Amino acid sequence: MKRINRIRAGIAGAAALLGSAGAAAAQDVTLEYWVYSDFAQGEALALQQEFIKEFTDAHPGVKINITGKGDDDLTAGQVAGAASGNLPDVFMNAQSVGAQLVEVRALANIYDKWMAMPQEFRDQFDKDALASCMPRPGELYCIPYTGFGSLLFRNLTVLEQAGIDPSTPPATWDEWFAQMQKVKDAGLYAIPDETLVFNSIAEIYATSGSSETWGFNWDDRTTRIDPAIMTKVLQKFVDMAPLTSGTSRNDQATKDLFISNQLAFHTVGPWVNPTYDEAAKTSGLKYDFVLIPGDEPGKTGGIRSYEIVGVAPGPNMDIAFEFATYITEKQQMVRWAKLLSRYNANAAAMADPEVSQLPLIKVSVDAAHGAMEVAAPYFIDSVPSCYNSTVIDYAAATADGEFTPEEGAQELIAELNSCLAQ
Amino acid sequence: MPSARPAFFRRPRPGRNMPMTLRRYLPHYLMIAPFMVLFAAFFLYPILSGLYYSFHDWNGVKTPEFVGLDNYQTILASRDFSRAMTNLLWYIAITVPLGILVALGLALLVDSFTGRWANFFRNAYFLPVVLPAFLAATIWRWIYAPNFGLLNMILGWFGVPSINFMNDTDTMLYALIVVDVWVSAGFNMVILLAGLKNIPGELYEAARLDGASKWQQIIHITIPMLGPVLFFVFTYGFISAMQVFDKPWLLTGSSFTSYGGRRNALLFPVMDMMGRGFGGVKFGEAAAYGFLLTIAIIAVTALMFTMRAWRERK
Amino acid sequence: MNRTSILVRRVTVWTVLKWTVALIVAAIAIFPIWWMINVVFALPGEPVSLNPRLWPSSLSAGIDKIHMILTETEYLRAYGISVAYALLTIAGVLLIGSLAAFEFSLFDFPGRRLLFGVVMLSLMVPTAVTIIPTYLLTSRLGWLNTMQGLVVPGLASAFGLFMLVQFMRAIPKDMIEAARLDGANHLQIYWHVALPLCRNALVTLAILTFMQTWGNYMWPLVISTRPEMYTVGQVVGLFNSPLSHHTVDTVMAANLLAAVPPLLFFLIFQRKIVEGIAMSGTKG
Repeated sequence: MKRINRIRAGIAGAAALLGSAGAAAAQDVTLEYWVYSDFAQGEALALQQEFIKEFTDAHPGVKINITGKGDDDLTAGQVAGAASGNLPDVFMNAQSVGAQLVEVRALANIYDKWMAMPQEFRDQFDKDALASCMPRPGELYCIPYTGFGSLLFRNLTVLEQAGIDPSTPPATWDEWFAQMQKVKDAGLYAIPDETLVFNSIAEIYATSGSSETWGFNWDDRTTRIDPAIMTKVLQKFVDMAPLTSGTSRNDQATKDLFISNQLAFHTVGPWVNPTYDEAAKTSGLKYDFVLIPGDEPGKTGGIRSYEIVGVAPGPNMDIAFEFATYITEKQQMVRWAKLLSRYNANAAAMADPEVSQLPLIKVSVDAAHGAMEVAAPYFIDSVPSCYNSTVIDYAAATADGEFTPEEGAQELIAELNSCLAQ
Repeated sequence: MPSARPAFFRRPRPGRNMPMTLRRYLPHYLMIAPFMVLFAAFFLYPILSGLYYSFHDWNGVKTPEFVGLDNYQTILASRDFSRAMTNLLWYIAITVPLGILVALGLALLVDSFTGRWANFFRNAYFLPVVLPAFLAATIWRWIYAPNFGLLNMILGWFGVPSINFMNDTDTMLYALIVVDVWVSAGFNMVILLAGLKNIPGELYEAARLDGASKWQQIIHITIPMLGPVLFFVFTYGFISAMQVFDKPWLLTGSSFTSYGGRRNALLFPVMDMMGRGFGGVKFGEAAAYGFLLTIAIIAVTALMFTMRAWRERK
Repeated sequence: MNRTSILVRRVTVWTVLKWTVALIVAAIAIFPIWWMINVVFALPGEPVSLNPRLWPSSLSAGIDKIHMILTETEYLRAYGISVAYALLTIAGVLLIGSLAAFEFSLFDFPGRRLLFGVVMLSLMVPTAVTIIPTYLLTSRLGWLNTMQGLVVPGLASAFGLFMLVQFMRAIPKDMIEAARLDGANHLQIYWHVALPLCRNALVTLAILTFMQTWGNYMWPLVISTRPEMYTVGQVVGLFNSPLSHHTVDTVMAANLLAAVPPLLFFLIFQRKIVEGIAMSGTKG
């Protein structure tokens, strides 16, 4: 029974797509498609070009130009493009700049078109990811695409050297912290300095807090950070201070320490895996990746963040939206995930047996579910740059001993509120 | 014999009308015309445009909304602005004189060699200039890394505990200046070398015959003869130092969401401008910021020109 | 006898000092780059940032990497675009700038001070202010994603004008007068007298303009939105993304390849800076 329903759903979905294709056929349209630089190189580019070919074959008269750009460049290019009327029609970007893109009218509200899509299509997506694209009822600004949940990479050689049994990952913060201390006692570095980068501060905050106690309250422009939780988290930074390597989770040095068996834990996203994979082949690095433990068993820390596919308003919006739904549809997302071995927001694709076997994806699905949104709610207003810098400054200052955790938390929240009030 | 001088070399008679003056000066205007036309189109017009937008609230797309001096007031009142300007003044006070001194030293050094060795050293010192900024920033971040970076390793041999160069607010500015001089010295050296090569060798001969030492030759011949070039290097050095952007941005691993480093110790005006413009999409504010910076640069440059005029009058 | 030996000793100390300093500074200048070269010629999984790499550990891995970058990305095409952009800009800046610098440094005419002042003022307005209006103008001219869009807006370089004026001021006025008495017109004086005399400045300006154009990031970013018109800086930027999945050795290889053309340009052209220029021919 289930199988027949699935086939019916598949046919219905395909018919919907092709049906709308028929309506839009035979117009000469060129779409500008901007993607992240990674996706425009090597095998990823080849697969994207396959998607493009499949789509344009089904839609004669449509041409799609793909361009890759680095992170900040995507935004700068779109902002400039909006000013001169040269916007990309369909593009990727991060949720965190969504508000800016809406403001310069580079990103359209696709709610109505979305609701016109068949239910099976809409159900394919991860609920949390979709929710982060819908700031208010009647508004949908993006289709969530790739994403990540933070992972805890463990260097098994270092753990063994410190006398820790690597077979079971730490289940709670206290267990993990005890392990960190043992690593330090063995004369090695336990963890990078998590106070140096906003995202790593958020990852540790998530071990105690949650999406509701992080992010922004845009109605009265205050921060949602809870003082009690922040105090607890700042205490963690103080405790970790003697155990860190002094480098941030993004530094090359951190990766090198991990590779040369001097660092035990690395909390970061899956993009470091290619490096560690190579190291495993070259120098015999033994490592694995697990969930970041939270305060209680079953709770995890870490953040999640999605890249989005957006569509610009304008005469090409309909076709652009169609293309967007094509590349985010389950079949394409399965192929995408298999190629890159990376988690994405199409839950149906993630559940596909060929995909869910991949170890990095299996862990990432769980990590994303338990993680904290890094800067929600999105698409409402742009976050002033003082916000992230302030969080970093106070975390680092508290870890250095300039404030007690209570003081640090109080001052931090006061500063953040005044930053947002501008 | 009457000299057959072309018309535009004749002296203008007083009281003649404009066309005559115009014809006399026509060749001058014609020669500067290509520059001036392009300049007016691609520099003057955008500057005036920017000035216009600085009095408006504009995000690049919607119609600009006149707000008078609001943008300027917001910026002057913001804490980031005063921090950025303070950082900037410290930065230029050290990096420009230091950079030029080092460049001059290098130029004189290279000049004192000949042939293959002169080429080798000149190429070596210029090498940092050809590097992409991202590369230079990356390698220096590695050198500055705490605990095991190259510099800390060397300090460790002398028993000095690890210094977190890029994260300690006391050291960040100096760490930046070192990288800056590392690149700019080669750049300025090349300009100064060109100037050095223009000094006639007989002057040095004559001085040597008079018994002048190397130092005396440098002070009394080289530096005065380099006058206009030194002035250029100084002035341009100040002007571009006041617009510093890419090195601190890259060294602190900044992005539009978070820039300036720990406690904004490496926050500079142009960084803040880019952040407000492209990050916060507030182009009117960014333009106003830029013009406030321009006023500061004009003040510094006016100072330099006055000092030169004062020296020339002596 | 005494005086000679003191002289010999002084020369020796000076020479030793000179060589020591020169070599130490050369080491400081070159070492970081040597380190990066060794990062490129290493295997992908090696820790490259912890200890300075003093020698390459795998030539073949490096060559493979470079080959991959040059063939699988649009790097070669970007080389072409960047070189064209640089050379066209140099030709334009040198020609237009020297024409104007000739006038501003050696002659007087109504409005000279004002015009020069305005140009100098433009140096003091940060590029970040003018980039969007210039971009909009260039876009309205239909020059987006074209070579002229890249090159033309940068031709009226105040930096170039300023530098050439400073060098040309040193040209003796009597040489100009002599040429004029010989019947040369304005353009001929410029071409046959002034330009040869400031040759070092022109070569230096060419080199520096190449460096500035090559390293220019913001302008190509907004003008060249299509990958066919990407400059080397933009292609390298694709590798430099903070969350890029490339390993560090590949990223550094892409960056180092970008440094090769400017280095070559410099090596070729700096030899043209002649020793002891012919300024001494003024007497008589």
